Amino acid sequence: MKNSKKTLEFKFERTIPAPPGEVFDAWLNPKIPGNPWNMAEKLLLNPKVDGFFYWLIKGNSHYGRFTEMERPSRIQHTWMSRSTLGEESTVTVTFKKQGEDTLMTLVHSGLPDTDGGRGHEKGWNYFLDMFPQQFGDASRRESKGEL
Amino acid sequence: MDQLTGILTAISHPSRRAIIGQLAGGPARFTDIAKPFNTALNSVTKHLKLLERAGLIERKKQGREVFISFRGKPLRQVAGWVHEYERFWNERLDQFEHYFKDKKKKEKR
Repeated sequence: MKNSKKTLEFKFERTIPAPPGEVFDAWLNPKIPGNPWNMAEKLLLNPKVDGFFYWLIKGNSHYGRFTEMERPSRIQHTWMSRSTLGEESTVTVTFKKQGEDTLMTLVHSGLPDTDGGRGHEKGWNYFLDMFPQQFGDASRRESKGEL
Repeated sequence: MDQLTGILTAISHPSRRAIIGQLAGGPARFTDIAKPFNTALNSVTKHLKLLERAGLIERKKQGREVFISFRGKPLRQVAGWVHEYERFWNERLDQFEHYFKDKKKKEKR
């Protein structure tokens, strides 16, 4: 049955000063700051195709299943949390060699477009924190599209 | 045009974002704001009018001079449109990027 609910997709890009293999491995290493598995209150992680993860942070549970694992270029997994309202969203991360660096692209798609998913007050703090970078740093590129 | 559309229009242009960035550091006179731009003063005036209409700047007279300052409050409305996963991934990816940048700096020492 076709899902007719309105969903959102977010795309983020960063240039990481390391080769793709190193960046790929770091993305799956819970000890490395910034990847989704870091700072977990509880983590179960089995990063292989059809492997599952459970990630608890600030009392919020997140679940998913790895669907693609192609070292060093691509990782894809499903992502379910309170904010996805029981729907499976998809996170796709690609790593592309760019000289000595890696162009890392993360696409989070299939997110329900609900008020509950939007930022409000927390978003305001975020916006203020990001303010100088948002307007000044050309290395940050992101786009948002409604599907 | 509703207020949110006005704010989004105001911050959609890179020159206007540059002006906001400049004014976020403190109030400035028109001539100071116009200085970094290689465009006609008329164009800077138009940008300022749009920012003023959106409530993002205000003018205050101090003696003979007029100072223009940034007002952040209207951006609350824009912040309401930031999805929690936009915030989440931006924060995470920033940390991840900084980790590698710091690592590279340490390796160079």
